[in-house]
Amino acid sequence: MNGIWLVALPLLGAFLLPIVYRQHTIVGYWTGPFILLINFAIALGLWHGIANGPQIIAMGGFSAPLGIIFYVDKLALLFVIAVVLGTLVLWLGKERGKVQEETLLLLIVAGGCGLALSGDLFNIYVFYEIVALASYGLAASKGSGAGYGASLRFLILGALGSSLLLLGIALIYAVTGTLNLAHLAELAPQMLNGSTGLVAFALILIGLGVKAEVFPVNTWVPEVYATAPARVSALLGGIVSKLALLVVLRLLVLIYDDTSAYLLLLNLGVLGVLTGELAALRATDLRQVLAYSSIGQLGLVAIAFSIPGSAGVIAGIALALHHALVKPALFMLTPAWGGHLKRLVGAAQVSMPGALLFLVLALSLIGIPPLPGFWAKFLLVTGALGTTENVAWYQMAIAVVLIATVIKTAYFMRIARLMFQGQSREKPVSAPHSRELAPALTLVGLLLVSVLTVGPISKSLEAVASEASDRKAYIKNTLPVWDKSFPALSVK
Amino acid sequence: MESVMTVQETALVYLLSYCGAIGLILLGIFAMTMYQHLIRIILGLMLLEAGVNLFLITVGFRANAVAPILVEAQTSAAMVDPIPQALVLTAIVIGVGVQALALALVIKTYKAYGTLDTKELAQKIAEESGTHVIDDIPVSLPVPVPSTRQMVEEKSA
Repeated sequence: MNGIWLVALPLLGAFLLPIVYRQHTIVGYWTGPFILLINFAIALGLWHGIANGPQIIAMGGFSAPLGIIFYVDKLALLFVIAVVLGTLVLWLGKERGKVQEETLLLLIVAGGCGLALSGDLFNIYVFYEIVALASYGLAASKGSGAGYGASLRFLILGALGSSLLLLGIALIYAVTGTLNLAHLAELAPQMLNGSTGLVAFALILIGLGVKAEVFPVNTWVPEVYATAPARVSALLGGIVSKLALLVVLRLLVLIYDDTSAYLLLLNLGVLGVLTGELAALRATDLRQVLAYSSIGQLGLVAIAFSIPGSAGVIAGIALALHHALVKPALFMLTPAWGGHLKRLVGAAQVSMPGALLFLVLALSLIGIPPLPGFWAKFLLVTGALGTTENVAWYQMAIAVVLIATVIKTAYFMRIARLMFQGQSREKPVSAPHSRELAPALTLVGLLLVSVLTVGPISKSLEAVASEASDRKAYIKNTLPVWDKSFPALSVK
Repeated sequence: MESVMTVQETALVYLLSYCGAIGLILLGIFAMTMYQHLIRIILGLMLLEAGVNLFLITVGFRANAVAPILVEAQTSAAMVDPIPQALVLTAIVIGVGVQALALALVIKTYKAYGTLDTKELAQKIAEESGTHVIDDIPVSLPVPVPSTRQMVEEKSA
């Protein structure tokens, strides 16, 4: 199967869905999950297909650097699988008949897969815009006034970010004259290592950072996650945000190797961790606590990706996948347990499964062994300790990570304590509906499976990371005819 | 071929375009961050997008060049770079979509709250959801009250 279907199928499905719904509601309801299942099967098939090396798909038969390519490697496929599987799980127990929401969900899947696979800078911009527009719509999909307001703020910040992203891409094109990532990687050491290249990276980082909840451009996060439907918050915070960081990682590895771009990402990540966790400590609404904690978690991923070499990549992937399992499950508890935290007093008596679920997930986020959160953080700290350049910066980052862990423990345990307290005089919260618990339990099941298979998982993650951090292999695979015998091509 | 551009004229074109692009971008960012009126913010977004598009077009500009449309295998001496033009076309279409969505959301928000001022809007939304507003960013209340009260109760008991 061709990797192009990963993007084409959900895109086609998204636009056919309203028509199908008009004819047969039942068929329409099952179209989305069906397409996602096929996508999942394709992705798994490709995973086996690329065991011997990445697959290059040239659009329309034009090979790189002239044509646009999809670069199907393990890292990209891993995130594709995360997006498809995550959306599929969140589809469990979904209410029927919400055509608009399902259309936008399929669009996000299409854009997300494209974002992960694309090997062309402008193509990335277009897929990023597809994801962004679909998420503005989803953020407003509850139809409440607050939802529209939050979505509007999200849109304004997102559009500002997208324009800066485009400006960064334009700068890179102005300097190098190409948009193909492999070609850029080839040219970068001569052309993009100066200040212009760094400015372009900063613009792109801020642009992608809106989705990735990077420090200065994440003010939309608490508002949107507090007003959007739980499934949407789960998808945006848990899964889509990682895709933007994946693109940043690709740029860092391929184009900005050996530059101070790493330090920029490191510092933004550190600031994100600090501000996110401190704000979560002060928040009094479970939804906002989760939103701020997700800013902190993405800061951790950013710190991990800013560690050069495969140690950083493996820590980043582990943190991202762990967060993609845990945060959506936590968000699924919020429809019943949102609102002021004091409402949660005695929640354990109302629904013991829900409270235990919360406890397990919170402990994993904090990083208590043997839960996978511990291993992800362990990889991050050992990776940061293993750096040889700018050691002081990375030691500072380790200190911040450890302090943030303490803060995280404080606020999660405070909430857990409220839950396991006796009944309050106020009316207790209702138990989470089984509709919402179904996806949460599935995700926790996956989490527990990953506890039992830590060995094989870490082995395959190592393979993914070593492949992803190999810049020369990316260039060689994408541009096989690229040879020093064509000097006219290698210099613009 | 009509008149040929001199080096000075070409330099002037570049200078004006780049200055215009940078000016538009700065104006747009200024408007988006400083104004509180939603429509003005969206106008700022349009300026910003126009600036970025102008920048892209200028990157592809070459003096005395023609559009890269080849008829019957003729080769022109100089062609402008077609890629930025393709990019700008895409960017314009995306920009229009974003602006349309923004305006639709503005209408919906106005219908819900009756104001287009971001500060008032944040205040009204915060009142509705029960969070405080400090410097137009809704923040939550400090430490939950019941937990501390109950700690005191536990101690006294």
